[in-house]
Amino acid sequence: MHKLVSISWQRLLLCSLLWITPSLHAQVLFGDGFENNVAGPFNDIDAARFLDQATFGPRPQDIARLRQLGYTAWLEEQFNAAISLETPHLDWIRTRPSGQNGVYRQARLEAWLTHAAQLADPSSPLLTHNDQLRQRVAFALSELMVVSDSNAALLFQQWGLANYNDLLAQNAFGNYRTLLEAVTKHPAMGTFLNMLGNRKPNATLNIRPDENYAREVLQLFSIGLNQLNLDGTEVLVGGQPVPTYNQNVVRGFAHVFTGWNWPGCSVADYDDCAPGNPYDPEWVQPMQAVEGLHDTTTNKQLLNYAGVALPVGLLVSGGNAQQEMTAALDNVFFHPNVGPFVAHHLIQRLVTSNPTPAYVQRVATVFNNNGSGVRGDLKAVVKAVLMDAEARFGQQSTPATFGKMREPLFKLVQVWRLTTPRSVNGRINLIAAPHEQYGQSPLSAPSVFNFFKPDYAQPGEIRNAGLVSPEFQIATDTLLVSGPNDYGWRIFYFYVGSPYSYAQDPDQMLMDYAELRGLAANPAQLVERINLALLAGRMSEFMKQVLVTRLNALPMTDAGLLRVQHALYLTLISPEYSIQK
Amino acid sequence: MNFNRREFLRRSIHTALGGAGLYTALGNLQLVSAAARNNIGNGAPGDYKALVCVFLFGGNDSCNTIVPYSAPHYGIYQATRPAVALSQASIAARSLMPQAITPGLPGGPPSDGASYGLHTAMPELRSLFNSQRAAIVGNVGTLLGPITQAQYQNGTHAAPPQLFSHDDQANYWQTSRPEDSNANGWGGRIADLLYATNSNQQLPMTISISGQNLFQRGANINQYVMGASGVPPIEFLEIYQNELGVDAYNALMAQGTQAHMFERGYASAMRRSVATYEMVNTALNAATPLTTTFSNGTLGQQLRMVAQMINVRAALGMQRQVFYVGLGGFDTHNDQLATHANILTDLSQSLQAFYNATVEMGLSESVTTFTASDFGRTLSTNSDGTDHGWGGHHFVVGGAVRGGRFFGAMNSLAQTNNPNDAGYGQIIPTTGVDQYAATLASWFGVDAGGIADIFPSLPMYNTANLGFMA
Repeated sequence: MHKLVSISWQRLLLCSLLWITPSLHAQVLFGDGFENNVAGPFNDIDAARFLDQATFGPRPQDIARLRQLGYTAWLEEQFNAAISLETPHLDWIRTRPSGQNGVYRQARLEAWLTHAAQLADPSSPLLTHNDQLRQRVAFALSELMVVSDSNAALLFQQWGLANYNDLLAQNAFGNYRTLLEAVTKHPAMGTFLNMLGNRKPNATLNIRPDENYAREVLQLFSIGLNQLNLDGTEVLVGGQPVPTYNQNVVRGFAHVFTGWNWPGCSVADYDDCAPGNPYDPEWVQPMQAVEGLHDTTTNKQLLNYAGVALPVGLLVSGGNAQQEMTAALDNVFFHPNVGPFVAHHLIQRLVTSNPTPAYVQRVATVFNNNGSGVRGDLKAVVKAVLMDAEARFGQQSTPATFGKMREPLFKLVQVWRLTTPRSVNGRINLIAAPHEQYGQSPLSAPSVFNFFKPDYAQPGEIRNAGLVSPEFQIATDTLLVSGPNDYGWRIFYFYVGSPYSYAQDPDQMLMDYAELRGLAANPAQLVERINLALLAGRMSEFMKQVLVTRLNALPMTDAGLLRVQHALYLTLISPEYSIQK
Repeated sequence: MNFNRREFLRRSIHTALGGAGLYTALGNLQLVSAAARNNIGNGAPGDYKALVCVFLFGGNDSCNTIVPYSAPHYGIYQATRPAVALSQASIAARSLMPQAITPGLPGGPPSDGASYGLHTAMPELRSLFNSQRAAIVGNVGTLLGPITQAQYQNGTHAAPPQLFSHDDQANYWQTSRPEDSNANGWGGRIADLLYATNSNQQLPMTISISGQNLFQRGANINQYVMGASGVPPIEFLEIYQNELGVDAYNALMAQGTQAHMFERGYASAMRRSVATYEMVNTALNAATPLTTTFSNGTLGQQLRMVAQMINVRAALGMQRQVFYVGLGGFDTHNDQLATHANILTDLSQSLQAFYNATVEMGLSESVTTFTASDFGRTLSTNSDGTDHGWGGHHFVVGGAVRGGRFFGAMNSLAQTNNPNDAGYGQIIPTTGVDQYAATLASWFGVDAGGIADIFPSLPMYNTANLGFMA
């Protein structure tokens, strides 16, 4: 089916160059499908839809800014926006008075929510965080190169985790090769996947290099299990997929990744040197090589593929730890799978669960060469993902299937962007743990396999159609109750002026309904305002009617409070909002 | 809570809301006739059986769970993995006392003639074994068929793809179909075959207390996922005098009102979630609580919920059920001695508490609990942990188990010249997951034709039924 789509798409594209005017073509397929994608947006709805993909949700000022600048200049502005970092926030918390200075998972979440929802910064209320695209891409990268404090060794290492998130943000528009090495050397990753303290073989003690990082960096962070075509489909030989590597290759990489440990460690204290405190500087510095425990005697079989730089993918023994890491990560980076693998991931996280192979191929082509001969330029890749004809017009060509389920945590962020909550003491405390309520929280996935897998397909219509729906993996019977209950709890009890006792706690975030209550006398207007902010202006007439009917039956004696609450709650749990299209 | 949800649900909630189709959250519940129909199962009135899969996430180091203490076996073990070896005395203190061989039947003392004990953290499981309520199946793993060391090392016989990879091997354990990456789980395939057994056709036969899993994925039957403390209701639907809010909610979720395939998928999941928790909670709330106490550990609390669900089997119209629970932390690359002891404690205490609960319900012979895991771990070590392996030993617990016996073969623990070593300290399985699973499925009531459907590779093995179930 995908193949047919891509063929007809190319044929139509060819035709369009010859015969069809751009405006007519827009109705035929994805819009003009060509350079005119970058023009616009020409109305608020297109702008809101773009911001739904590129940010954590459109606010009126965001729509205005995008329309003022246009896509290209807006992207440039985002690429150059000051980077919001989490580590300094943890440092700041540590300077707070006793009782307010605990740095646990909640502290890191406070920083993340400040950046994602663009809330008043607890450490500096006048500081504004405007790097939405970077934060959205960093979150997508955190679902690719997964580190998680669900691992007991990381639960209390929040500086290491915050710094890892910072690393993703700092490299979100950099080069994938740089990102890959930074991730590989980060102590949070070293702790999570056991490369930290990995040592060369010792036959006497029957010690072998640890294979954990070696395996996951290949399977999950870069190339995947099977050979891919440029368009992301699997290479088939005799109808069967072709593995990208075997156990020998995993062993080869495991031997490469030996001899890495905390800064300042030596052979003598290799197993015992570790920082004593979560805030010690070692947690925010790359691991360092201890050459005495790096393997220098084994030839390492790395990836072998057409055009591989190392002859037959073999790294001959003798290099030091850094030399071998450089060679091995280059060996990964130039594997032909990386482009389609990363392209598919970013498309799924930002735009749609089921991109056409042609879309993947266009983005992978940019990964392979940004137009200036540079491979792995993530800025160009992100731009290609968002400005592709399919991203901009896919909802017109395949309206019944284009898009993705919204990640449940993003619903909270988006409703906060609409209602600008604040707390009495300026702090942000969610109290609840989002991974328990929503099934996800930044850097708290259950395992290295993320919150959900890229090929999960909900049983029933979606699976029967041969489509995938990754986020449905956390739409469990349990989370479909706990998530809505958490939104409901916040909407109905935690708002400015709330009389409920729970809302009196000075660090509770209270949503400000003033603007929305100003519209409540006219339910249709209130619904339209929410429509633009949450559904990118695409709410159906049916759903509008359901909401307006409900709101009209609520009294205005409370100056619109109940109307706002019901409108927000019903929208958040609605099927139409739950699918980003 | 101040509400009467049932009353306003009883009203027609079809409204004038823009042509929303009629949708009643409780419309298709079959709970009401709580008296279970008894003309099903194996034909026996009151017949009930449950399989409980305890998945040990990360790959259990079973060679440090079940350990020989006799000479020369202990010395070999200690020499192979000095970094993680348990003390001989601690194992001897948890000695297992296997039953003698019954002529004509499999099972008995361990195949290698060694004396084995359990990890010191597992006194409860030891007593279950020694009282013949638990059996050990040695060196089980994912296979495409029997394979020898020479066949594996020479590449003349295929092994499952992506050996030693967590995700893949956990998947193959759960599907028993390494040759088909799209296969459903064997728990789900059992449910596809037997779901008609249950008088209640809404609540799935497969219930997970540990999240979505492949083991229970079927072509027709979707697993039901609960939390260890049950399923809370959607509070918005319970607000006092919120009838019109409920109407709006139902209109949005109603079948036939969504234009997008994913919206339909979401709405149907929401409908199912509400309808099913209503049914489950009604049954749980009406039940007489069990008196068996469970530990507060992760696994203890999950198995407590399984016991509660079994306790209301009649109210829910369940005659066959497959449960899935899980315990994490077994990927012990580092600091294994401390980590492993903690989770084995939870495992041992929880398995015993759960067995006790089945005794309390008079169902000890109707409920069988078994372990599964991504893989065993390497005999070789990393620094103070172990790496991903292949085969591993497993436990089967219940009154219908031919307990106090070892089944299959125990692997060699030698560092060199080890006939079970895949070449790097990973142990080549001598019993396939197919055999282990088919033995359980047979007991559960899957007939020969069904076994052949579910486990197509089974004819490759000499033994289709390992004989550990009575």
